[in-house]
Amino acid sequence: MNEASSSLIPLVIYFISVIGLVALVMCLSWVVGGRIKRRPATGEPFESGIVSVGTAQVPITVEFYMIAMFFVIFDLETVFIFAWAVAFEELGWPGYAAMVVFVVILVLALIYEWKSGALDWGIKTRTGLERK
Amino acid sequence: MTFLDFQALSPLLALTATILVVLMIIAYNRNHKVVCTTTVIGLFITLATIPCVIGIDPVQVTQLLVIDRFALLLITLIALVTIAVSLLAYDYFDGNSGRPEEFYLLLMLSALGGMVLVSSTHFASFLLGLELLSISLYALISYPIKGLIPLEAAVKYLILSGVASATLLMGAALLYAGLGTLSFEQLGSGFYPEQATVQAYIVIGSALLLTGLAFKLSLVPFHMWTPDVYEGAPAPVTAFVATVSKGAIFALMVRFFVLTGAFEYQSILVGLSVFAIGSMLAGNLLALMQNNVKRMLAYSSIAHIGYLLVAFISGGITGGMALALEASIFFLVAYIVTTLGAFGIVTILSNSDESRDCDALENYTGLFWRRPALAGAFSIILFSLAGIPLTAGFIGKFYIIAAGVKGTLWLLIATLVVGSGIGIYYYLRVIYTMTLKSTSTEPIRIPVASGWVMLLVTATILTLGVYPTPFIDMLGDLAKSLT
Amino acid sequence: MILIALVSILFIGGIIAWIAEGWNRDWPRWVSLISIAVAALLLPSLFLLEPHLSATPATTANSWLILHSIPWIPKFGIAVLVGLDGLSLLMVTLTIFLGLIAVVSSWSEIDHRPGFFQFNIMWTLAGVVGVFIALDMFLFFFFWEVMLIPMYLLIAIWGHENRGYASMKFFLFTQISGLLLLVSILALVFANYGNTGEFTFSYFALLDANLSPDVAYWVMWGFFIAFVVKLPGFPFHTWLPDAHTQAPTAASVLLAGILLKTGAYGLIRFTVPLFPEAAVEIAPLAMLLGVAGVIYGAILAFAQSDFKRLVAYSSVSHMGFVLIGIYAWNQLSLQGSVMQMIAHGLSTAALFMIAGALQQRLHTRDMTAMGGLWVSMPRMGGITLFFIIASLGMPGLGNFVGEFLILMGTFKVNIPITVFAALGLITAAVYALYAMQQTFQGAPTQELDVEDFGAREISVMVLMMVGLVFLGLYPQPVFDIVDPVLAGLYQLTQSTPSWLGSL
Repeated sequence: MNEASSSLIPLVIYFISVIGLVALVMCLSWVVGGRIKRRPATGEPFESGIVSVGTAQVPITVEFYMIAMFFVIFDLETVFIFAWAVAFEELGWPGYAAMVVFVVILVLALIYEWKSGALDWGIKTRTGLERK
Repeated sequence: MTFLDFQALSPLLALTATILVVLMIIAYNRNHKVVCTTTVIGLFITLATIPCVIGIDPVQVTQLLVIDRFALLLITLIALVTIAVSLLAYDYFDGNSGRPEEFYLLLMLSALGGMVLVSSTHFASFLLGLELLSISLYALISYPIKGLIPLEAAVKYLILSGVASATLLMGAALLYAGLGTLSFEQLGSGFYPEQATVQAYIVIGSALLLTGLAFKLSLVPFHMWTPDVYEGAPAPVTAFVATVSKGAIFALMVRFFVLTGAFEYQSILVGLSVFAIGSMLAGNLLALMQNNVKRMLAYSSIAHIGYLLVAFISGGITGGMALALEASIFFLVAYIVTTLGAFGIVTILSNSDESRDCDALENYTGLFWRRPALAGAFSIILFSLAGIPLTAGFIGKFYIIAAGVKGTLWLLIATLVVGSGIGIYYYLRVIYTMTLKSTSTEPIRIPVASGWVMLLVTATILTLGVYPTPFIDMLGDLAKSLT
Repeated sequence: MILIALVSILFIGGIIAWIAEGWNRDWPRWVSLISIAVAALLLPSLFLLEPHLSATPATTANSWLILHSIPWIPKFGIAVLVGLDGLSLLMVTLTIFLGLIAVVSSWSEIDHRPGFFQFNIMWTLAGVVGVFIALDMFLFFFFWEVMLIPMYLLIAIWGHENRGYASMKFFLFTQISGLLLLVSILALVFANYGNTGEFTFSYFALLDANLSPDVAYWVMWGFFIAFVVKLPGFPFHTWLPDAHTQAPTAASVLLAGILLKTGAYGLIRFTVPLFPEAAVEIAPLAMLLGVAGVIYGAILAFAQSDFKRLVAYSSVSHMGFVLIGIYAWNQLSLQGSVMQMIAHGLSTAALFMIAGALQQRLHTRDMTAMGGLWVSMPRMGGITLFFIIASLGMPGLGNFVGEFLILMGTFKVNIPITVFAALGLITAAVYALYAMQQTFQGAPTQELDVEDFGAREISVMVLMMVGLVFLGLYPQPVFDIVDPVLAGLYQLTQSTPSWLGSL
């Protein structure tokens, strides 16, 4: 066995162990996991309680998702600004300039969202989507 | 960052500024025509900055980007294609009841990603460009609200593209683990280490990297998403995916291979050859069975990237680099122009308000007699795809075979010949369908902007096919400067 | 320059014909008639040219009448290098002549898009003329492909009932063999580049390429197959019966009359001189394929009930002779091959026109539905008899001279081949007379009220009959024109220069 192939041994072991681990977990869950006998009530949320009414899949208005997304986007803004703030001294004016550009772009994006009505609640009040 | 750096980056900066301007225009004045016009003007400004850069190139802007002739050529190409797609999309969305304005925003973002990609020399900028390109594309693919087909296409592209990016990242991580750098150039200096462990890292890392790239280039066996996405996406977006997205990633691949010298690894060349042979055969054979023009073009694009790889692989042969690059770039340009034209025709015939694009083969019956100019242009485009003289595709194929013969890649060339032979069948089938007697007499309107785009595309195909000398001379210098 | 003018006239004429359709449906055919006539007027001046020695590369025995070169893609040494010698001159003349006839013969046949039809005819002609004059391999390939697309469209749009299948088959066969040719050309160019360090596609430079026997052998196969498919030689002939049968008359005339000749021309001009040693190696095999074509084509011709298909298979048989003649590679057999190419061009074109005329009148090509047509169309019957007899090789007509010389030449080289090839003369008589019998003789199957040949058709036919008689009785002018070329090509191969003395 030459050097090249012997150096591959750790990788091979890693590879095999990954596959082995996945296989093991899958087998275990099959062996250990309980067997369910299908009865009429098996699919019910509360097999022994009150029969549920209606469906849980209620449509939630899109605004909730929008707000969640805006939160993620503008939250990440903070992450970048924080990273810059930590190294404020080292980065100096160029760093400041870069940050200003970054913030300006985000402000433009915010204006865009505002104007196109993404921040309005309810379709009736949303005005920015009309075409001119 | 010096002033020179900013000057070098001016095409990218101009495009970024245009995106912001368009964003504000949409916010204050949502008007399709204004938005499209601004987009096109902005892209022309981007083009206008390129002559200012040509004098000072090549400029290495930090470790991340390099602006050289190669990057500039592809930036020009991307800008031109984006202009064409914008104009096609204007007519496609014209009269649409939805809101087409953001389309241009996403299109430009995607183009910006492509431009970053073609000039990146570092894994960080590579990934930045790639994600910018892809994420905008997810939204673009599902842009028109017409049933589930575009949505399915977008989700499929999202998942597979995500997998590809992950594979790619793993490859980059392994390369970093082995060599401790992410810059292509520094990777190149340590690419042939003494220690076998590091070599193993490099080979496996490169293999993962290639897998990721093969996903994006839709090489067999990673091509499954292509026909569905091409079929589902609105026609102008399909044109964009098939040209800019693939072209930019191929350019990146060229850059990576040239800077790192990954050609020297025999195993990588073998892997590429397998991709190439598989793509040429499977692409052409599967295209035979399609009755949908978009799907057929999707498979044919798989085969074309296979052809492209033949030239690329010949770069691994001693002394073959310059010709290989020249051939690859010429073929790439011919492919981009021709594919843009093909999907342009589909776009002209389709409208975003209909439930499906005009992509069934029978929709083309009798086009020759209903709209001779359009059918003539489509025939030239199909002949170019088939590689028949007088067209850019012929010179491209000539180049590929020349590079292959020089590299004595006989198996690949034989596959190419067989593949092209099969290819002729399905391209001709479309032309034949167009020559049949028409069943419909409904008039076809050719919108002005799209008409001009198609005229220019066809003229370019013919010019490159009949008198390619100036372009070839330019490519010759370019290829020399790259190596 | 005159050569480029010749090709340009045809290209431009085609475009004008297409545009003219928009103004008046009658104009396109006049436009193409006039432009071919103008091209034809250029021809006599070519016949007066003397070989000029200064511009002539020494290797080709000073037989060039014109040589002209303009750079095209200098980086790869590609130029618009065109030249004319006796062989090209004869072929170009045949092309223009048959082009004229094709246009006249389909004068009233085409109703659907006449402008585009004429455009395709003209571009096919231009492509074929280009093939006969191109001496740069890239340019040659360029024209080689250019002539295919319009021909494909001619069959696909104006063809008969099964046109889709036939046109596709035609295109696939010729296109794949074309790609093979392209690969071979490039392999040759790169082999030459490897030896000399200079990129060039020039025929003259490549003649001097010092190829290793192995390379020469394999590259030769690429050239050989590409040209034999076009010829068509057995076993690559299967596209021909379909294409010929389904094509409209004018396209059949062009296909049989001149497109097939490009294959033979390619073998004479390129395959053998470029790879003389390799060509000698496969000569017996090539001649065997030729014999197989002669006999197989004849047998299948006899089995047909479709008149056009019969003529198509007879082409396979006749072109088999040409293949034998070329690979026998001596003065007599080459002269015979050239003569056979011209005579076959005329006689088969005429037979296809007759088939087209029959179909126009009877709306069928099925010979079982014909019979006794002589009664209603005596003039057509007489003319058909003439061409049938010409085609079976009656002494006194051009085809006989060709076949006889080929057999004579081959006899010196390979006697068994000659014996079997000679069988083709008998079988030709069988199927040709059978065709005559089925159509014009016998009892009339039905009462027919059809027009006989009119003045336009008769004049065209007479022109071709005069040509065949002239070739049959006094073939010497043709040999005078072509001999220096053949001698030069022979000298290039340098295997047994002894026969040069017999010139």
